[in-house]
Amino acid sequence: MTLAKLVVKNITRRRGRFVFTLLGITIGIASFVTFLAMGGSLKSEIYRETAALGANLVVIPKGSCGYEQLSILTGDQMPTNISAEEIASIRAIRGLTVVPFLAQQTAINNRPVTVSGIEPAATLAFKRWQVARGAYFARDDENGVVLGAGAARQFELQPDATVTIRGEKLPVLGILAETGGRDDATLFLSLPLAQRLFKSADNVSYAAIRVDNLALTEGYIEQIRVATGLGVVSDKQMLKSVLGIVGTVNITLQLIAAVAVLAAAFGIINTMVAATYERKREIGILQALGARRRTIFTLFMLEAGFYGVIGGVTGVIGGLATAVIATPYISQNAFTTLVKGSGNGTLVDAKVIAGSILFSAIVAVVAGIYPAWRAARLTPVEAISYE
Amino acid sequence: MSDVIIRTEHAAKTYATGAVSTTALKDVSLEILQGSFTCIVGPSGHGKSTLMHLIGGLDRPTDGKVYIGGMEISGIANSDLARLRGTRIGFVFQFFNLLQGLTAIENVEIAMMLAGVPEREQRVRAEELLARVGLAEKAGSKPSQLSGGQQQRVAIARALANDPDILLMDEPTGNLDSQAEAEILDLLQTLHSQGKTVVIVTHSDEVSRRAERIIRVRDGLVAH
Repeated sequence: MTLAKLVVKNITRRRGRFVFTLLGITIGIASFVTFLAMGGSLKSEIYRETAALGANLVVIPKGSCGYEQLSILTGDQMPTNISAEEIASIRAIRGLTVVPFLAQQTAINNRPVTVSGIEPAATLAFKRWQVARGAYFARDDENGVVLGAGAARQFELQPDATVTIRGEKLPVLGILAETGGRDDATLFLSLPLAQRLFKSADNVSYAAIRVDNLALTEGYIEQIRVATGLGVVSDKQMLKSVLGIVGTVNITLQLIAAVAVLAAAFGIINTMVAATYERKREIGILQALGARRRTIFTLFMLEAGFYGVIGGVTGVIGGLATAVIATPYISQNAFTTLVKGSGNGTLVDAKVIAGSILFSAIVAVVAGIYPAWRAARLTPVEAISYE
Repeated sequence: MSDVIIRTEHAAKTYATGAVSTTALKDVSLEILQGSFTCIVGPSGHGKSTLMHLIGGLDRPTDGKVYIGGMEISGIANSDLARLRGTRIGFVFQFFNLLQGLTAIENVEIAMMLAGVPEREQRVRAEELLARVGLAEKAGSKPSQLSGGQQQRVAIARALANDPDILLMDEPTGNLDSQAEAEILDLLQTLHSQGKTVVIVTHSDEVSRRAERIIRVRDGLVAH
């Protein structure tokens, strides 16, 4: 017999209580890990989308905040109030490649989908897309739809099929090769068609810009502002403000999870305090057999720690499973759509796993201090005369 | 075999519960010889169990002194007292007090575990001890699968685990039928003949009849 074996026997003797206490800490740690995993994939997805956008600068409506910048990355619907004249005056500045986008949403078979109005030729050059099947737009105002690879799969569309957008039947021209980014889940229309269907005159939502000489970026920002009065952000600024929003959301979610873990800690305290009452006699026997106070204290601390480690392991497994299973079902929402887009790219490294288990063990051990102290404080006579 | 192994000098014990204090033992001076078979008898509530707690190192006197094997225990550290209980004294209680979640052999092993005996040695010695009390074939049984007499024999095997000088028992046959009681008493007799000091707190005439010496406790005093 060893102290460790005694601990396992003590804990597993009351199976129901063991399972319920364990469930408490498991759920707490699982939600913690789920949020951490989702937050992790959200963050990596934002980096990926920013890179996929391929722009050094983004022109957005004046007075836009971080949310609009986030919408560019998530493919959310955006206001369309940048006029054709404004785009023209930006294009008049030398050394810039300017590509306007009309960001809209529609539904196919009651499922929401991102629609992007583009200048076909300019965008193809800018994004360096490959066409996997069918054809790309032949003219800049061609009536038809080009689909991202993911959207084609989702709606089971092939070239030559027909798709109805805003009541208008449109032929599917072609399907793009996988890009790994948001474009995969998008329907592309030529800009004039999109503007007509979504009644946005000759306006667009935002423009992506690549500068020829990166050293002059600051100067270009100023020039565009003076020429148009629109908001201009660099890719780095955009990344920073979007990560800021996501970070706030992440911290909020993790705080909620921390509350769950805290509640579980009180579950452990409750179980262990109940155990000190129930096992008073047993503690007395151990003392009569020569157990020191330190031994009794250690015994109870180990029991609490055991809950923490086992709960941590099951929590991590449960959390990762939840993240993998739940992610595809998360509804369209600016904050979560990226996670959905990231598919199975759940980002959890060994550090998160080890950290969560350690966290769980520490919480449990801290929760065990009071019950262990109570148990160790009993005098042998007190414990042994207890009926 | 005439060394004094347990000695009390004017030992007294007062329990304070809030404002009320109860004197359980008033002034007890006694000597118990090594290798003797002693019974402590007396009416309920007169201090028998308190006396047993004091001479077993489970409690300390509020006044006076208690010596076990020449060591004065009322002032020593808790951890030293625990070690003393673990190595020099074997306890057996009325309600068997086995750990319910453990098997018979594990109950015996745990006493050795607390004394720091290596695991492999624990198993070997526990098997020997269970054989000695006639329960070799019940080693894997849980307490709930054993009769009262069998449980008490496991408790005796556990008390013997660290080869103590003294066996201290509180009503060891109080919950047993006469046949089981006789078996336990025969076992104690054998242990006594092998040199153990046996001290039993009891109400039973059957038990006290076997004693070499009887100490009567009445009103917190030893009646002479």
